[in-house]
Amino acid sequence: MGRMLTFEIFRYNPADPASKPHLQTYTLEEQPSMTLFIALNRIREEQDPTLQFDFCCRAGICGSCGMVINGKPGLACHTQTADLPDRITLYPLPVFKLLGDLSVDTGVWFRDVGKKIESWIHTNVQFDPKAQEERMDNELSLKIFELDRCVECGCCVAACGTARMKEDFIGATAINRLARFYIDPRDKRDAADFYDLVGNDQGVFGCMGLLACDNVCPKQIPLHDQLGIMRRMVTLESVKAIIPEFVRKKLMGCKSIKA
Amino acid sequence: MITSSPRDLRSRLDFWQALSGAILALFVCVHLVLEGSVVISPEITNTIGWLMEETYVAQIAAPIIILLIVFHFWIAARKMPFRAGELEIFWDHSRALKDLDTWLWLVQVFTAVVILVGAFFHVFTVMADLPITVVESSKRLHMGWWLFYVLFLPCTILHTGIGIYRIGVKFGIIDKARRIFWRKVIWAAMACYLALGICALTRVWLIGY
Repeated sequence: MGRMLTFEIFRYNPADPASKPHLQTYTLEEQPSMTLFIALNRIREEQDPTLQFDFCCRAGICGSCGMVINGKPGLACHTQTADLPDRITLYPLPVFKLLGDLSVDTGVWFRDVGKKIESWIHTNVQFDPKAQEERMDNELSLKIFELDRCVECGCCVAACGTARMKEDFIGATAINRLARFYIDPRDKRDAADFYDLVGNDQGVFGCMGLLACDNVCPKQIPLHDQLGIMRRMVTLESVKAIIPEFVRKKLMGCKSIKA
Repeated sequence: MITSSPRDLRSRLDFWQALSGAILALFVCVHLVLEGSVVISPEITNTIGWLMEETYVAQIAAPIIILLIVFHFWIAARKMPFRAGELEIFWDHSRALKDLDTWLWLVQVFTAVVILVGAFFHVFTVMADLPITVVESSKRLHMGWWLFYVLFLPCTILHTGIGIYRIGVKFGIIDKARRIFWRKVIWAAMACYLALGICALTRVWLIGY
């Protein structure tokens, strides 16, 4: 017989005026290789069909099942109950709009932030549908792919103390997204353009280097390394009139100044 | 060649915060080593003090350092949880998350306030009672200032160490692969500075006034 797990799950339906935020307790016997995703589905199927939570792929790809697990944001489908104590507390991800219980709307937040950082390739090259696709160096494409692995689960945002305090902070995921365009040669934006987008306290300068984004990312993306590269680039852009160009280029390190 | 920039002063605050922090960190490191010379011999410390005064380095540097601390605090304070509810949110967040780096930021906020107030008293009492000698320092310790330094010394070391680490991380100098190594190096350096500071304070105390 497996352990008896006690789940304390946040319950609240913002659409129901009679609903009040509270923790509801459920108990469930642990099964071998049980994930939180399986446990929540069993609770919903066997004990409480009103329990709301999001899921889709159950394989850490869709990023839907992000929630706060014993205080730490993570994906339910990636979390084995064997790695958790007998008592498991689940809350919805903060920062995002609560839909009900553990379900949040990350989509609106990511769309807004995507618009803010202009999360698409900026180019003045005319598209020729008959031309062969431009080749890309394999090493570079792997680097871009590494940053594209973000599933937009929102765990890094929920773990960020700055994002918790300042609603308008764009978070590590958005800066990581922008870093992806920064290294993409098809994107013709230069340092000044990136500066205009994130060179403020809502952007890279808002980051306080708390590193929790890095520590909780279920995809282990080096978010803070990207933040560091972008911050250095944008900071050096901000002191263009103070520091000579050759010093700026030197300080830029591994990344060259575009254009 | 310096190219023109449309950037205003406000957009450079992050740069000034890092630069002023780095200068102050360098100052603290040098200052503590020079102070620590008392462990080897009080004569060395007295000579350093005499040299600093004769060349007016102490008289010029003291107000500059105070101004730099105020400047650094003023810039960094824009991120501190001063607005209503922010501290509570951050405190609850840190408690739930149990993440060391998140806690360390709260340590930095607390130590920043201690340093802002403490540095003023430290500099004022030293500069108002020239010349800088070990005997004068010992006199102050026996007057009860030891209690002040028991708080001020670790706060200064913690703030400096965590600050250096955070500058490295924030600007991508310390990347993920080397983060654990550098964290250990910085904690070790902080432990060494703390040990040196305690030895120096004990040595000055034992001179006895």
